[in-house]
Amino acid sequence: MVTSSLQSRPAKVKKRMAQDRQPEEPPKTVVKDGKMENEIIQVKHLNFYYGPSQALFDVSMSIPEKRVTALIGPSGCGKSTFIRVLNRMNDIIDNTRVEGKIIINGKDIYQPGTDVVTLRKNVGMVFQKSNPFPKSVYDNVAYGPRLHGLKDRRKLDEVVHRSLERSALWSEVKDRLSDSAMDLSGGQQQRLCVARALAVNPNILLMDEPASALDPRSTTKIEDLIGELRAEYTIVIVTHNMQQAARVSDYTGFFYEGRLIEFNETRKIFTNPDHKQTEDYITGRFG
Amino acid sequence: MKKSLITIVGAACLTAVMGLSPVFAGDTLQVKGSDTLVHLSSSWAEKFMEKKPASEVAITGGGSGTGISALLNGTADLANASRKMKDLEKDKIKSQGFEPVEFIVAKDGIGVIVHPSNPINQLNMNQIKQIFTGQVNNWKKYGGPKAKILLYTRDSSSGTFAFFQKRVLKEKDYSVRARRLASNSAIVESVSKDVNAIGYVGLGYVAEAGDRVKALKVREGDGPAVSPTQETVKNDTYPISRGLQVYSKGQPKGLAKEFVDYMLSAEGQQIVNDRGFVAVQ
Amino acid sequence: MTKKQLSDLVVKYLFQIAASMTVLIVALIFLFLFKESIPFVRDLGLGALFDVRWEPVSYVKERFGIYPLFLGSLSVTFLATIIAIPFGVIGAVYISEIATPLEREIFKPFVELLAGIPSVVLGFFGMVVLAPIVKAVFHLSSGLNALTGALLLALMAIPTIISISEDALKSVPMSYKQASLALGANKLETIWRVTVPAALSGIIAAIMLGMGRVIGETMTVLMVTGNAPIPTLNPFESVRTMTATIAAEMGEVAFGSVHYSSLFWVGIILLIATFILNMIAQRVLKNYKRRPHG
Repeated sequence: MVTSSLQSRPAKVKKRMAQDRQPEEPPKTVVKDGKMENEIIQVKHLNFYYGPSQALFDVSMSIPEKRVTALIGPSGCGKSTFIRVLNRMNDIIDNTRVEGKIIINGKDIYQPGTDVVTLRKNVGMVFQKSNPFPKSVYDNVAYGPRLHGLKDRRKLDEVVHRSLERSALWSEVKDRLSDSAMDLSGGQQQRLCVARALAVNPNILLMDEPASALDPRSTTKIEDLIGELRAEYTIVIVTHNMQQAARVSDYTGFFYEGRLIEFNETRKIFTNPDHKQTEDYITGRFG
Repeated sequence: MKKSLITIVGAACLTAVMGLSPVFAGDTLQVKGSDTLVHLSSSWAEKFMEKKPASEVAITGGGSGTGISALLNGTADLANASRKMKDLEKDKIKSQGFEPVEFIVAKDGIGVIVHPSNPINQLNMNQIKQIFTGQVNNWKKYGGPKAKILLYTRDSSSGTFAFFQKRVLKEKDYSVRARRLASNSAIVESVSKDVNAIGYVGLGYVAEAGDRVKALKVREGDGPAVSPTQETVKNDTYPISRGLQVYSKGQPKGLAKEFVDYMLSAEGQQIVNDRGFVAVQ
Repeated sequence: MTKKQLSDLVVKYLFQIAASMTVLIVALIFLFLFKESIPFVRDLGLGALFDVRWEPVSYVKERFGIYPLFLGSLSVTFLATIIAIPFGVIGAVYISEIATPLEREIFKPFVELLAGIPSVVLGFFGMVVLAPIVKAVFHLSSGLNALTGALLLALMAIPTIISISEDALKSVPMSYKQASLALGANKLETIWRVTVPAALSGIIAAIMLGMGRVIGETMTVLMVTGNAPIPTLNPFESVRTMTATIAAEMGEVAFGSVHYSSLFWVGIILLIATFILNMIAQRVLKNYKRRPHG
């Protein structure tokens, strides 16, 4: 049983892992253009439960560094649950349980004694619905750095400036830093959330359907932003918009009913998938 | 819930109608006023109604002023008062074409009480006056311990407050530092807890408090020191005593007259003694 | 006119009448207060209210200075609010954010119970239990003072502050908390940096309502503040509040006298004080809503 406490680690997981030491089957390695990618996240035999019901079944995959990985699949297929496992956001839900291993930067993040604060600093997250705090634009971006102890006003100014530039928002808000974030447009709010996540200097950015609530123009801006960020960050994006996945990602994983059906280069998935289910979904036969 | 609300509203309407409408006044006698008298009056009413089952006597408290104003605007037939009617109030009744009629129905003594551990047993009227006006604020002055005197009085609304002010303070103001409590019981309670306290309460409360407080003997000038008891109040040797009165607008008639007669009867006066007050006859 | 239009019109008027009732009643109360307070101005003049002493029953000189009563209400209300705020707000945070469902089930009925205790009972408790404690702890001659009153009033304000603040905290969207946690904040940091600031307007409203309850409370202060009209802000002195004055004196005062009329002035001042308090509260809320906080 997983409690809602952030620091505690489910006792059951330990037990389960001790029992079932499965043969270490190497996760599928990703090779692009014949070149081995550097795998920053490795997921091994992941099972996930909400109380008695299992949401993820034996998911194994490796996510390459500084690439954009898209996760697609019909509603309820487990893709959102999956990315919330990557920064332990599911810890805040009562009665959840994790089995298997998730190794990020060489460390199993469900190992007892894992510092969730450091993990989440390293693995930023942007949510489906933009959720800026009811504070000023400046205070929103400065929230993370302040939390982690940065007090010097000049350095804060710099972080805020840099984060807003990187999220392509600076030119629009530079004169409105002290305005409430709630006064920004929907698209601006979502980019502000990206800036807020970037301000703590993560390596990995998780995006849970970041454009699903936005109009087409704002969506384009978010997609452009992802394009610019890919050089510096590892991005994992959940989307139900297949065109978007095709446009922005290097790799794509297809989830169906809690299982990772297929994971490969985006180009391959969209042109010549190995599995029939993937093909059916991509061609719009269901989902 | 809803039903009880309806009942309450209904009862409230009924009360309002009964209060306002003269139709009911014939069967029901409304007596309103002093809180000091409310228990005594209720006892009277209870016994009175036993003897005369067809009649109904309703007793309400609220204060002497409330009773007199109820008498004025006709919502009460008799007013209980622990103070004498003021000239202003008398004039108002006269302006309605009635004579205010006063009946002294009982007597009450006011005991001056201190904490049982206080070494002082008696004071004269002038010393009590100096204490309550704040001129003397330390027990040492009267041979007690070196400690500040803690004053408790009734609130200025109380008939007892006004009476004590007139009789003992000789119409001077109370000390502003005197704590003013809402009831006799509150004064007993507080004096029993504070070693340096002094206060005053009605005779009935002195008896009831027993050993929790000590009632001082009081001297008038160079006269003898007298304890407050029913006996000393009745024979007027205890200096701080007063009449409790019932007022009516013009000579009482019908049920009101019968009730007043009952209060003053031997049986009625026995009830006075039983309730800790002092009979007038 | 069709039947439907007619019924629409009837309903509209019915609603209008219902809504106007409150306005009418408030207006009538004002009218009544002013009517009854006029004799005072006629006989003594308004200036008599600015006397520094309240001595309405006197053979020397009747004095009707509302100043000591005003100070009494002010100090008791202020103290009670200061005492109630930390307990109320922390209690609300605990119940809404930290407590497990079981703990919540245990705590909430007690908060509701505290809110439901009749003020006379609290006053009685204050007189018999709390006052001797206050007296002993601070080495005072008597425990009947402003502080004891304020402590009891704080007890009355705390449930109001807790339940309204808790509603405000609960209505803070989960997404704010998620965003904060995702940035590496722990639970406590999230509560103090995001949840409480986001609910601040509700919390301020809760405090103001708590103050409203305190300033209007009569029975408790009547029983434990000692009621001596000393013009002071010292919490260890006895004070007499405006509400207690009205409650204690209205019963015995001669109908239509100057004293009677002066009590209506106390009522008017009390009404104006609560009115100003409300206006300040509204202003604070409005400012808060307009200006983002961090």
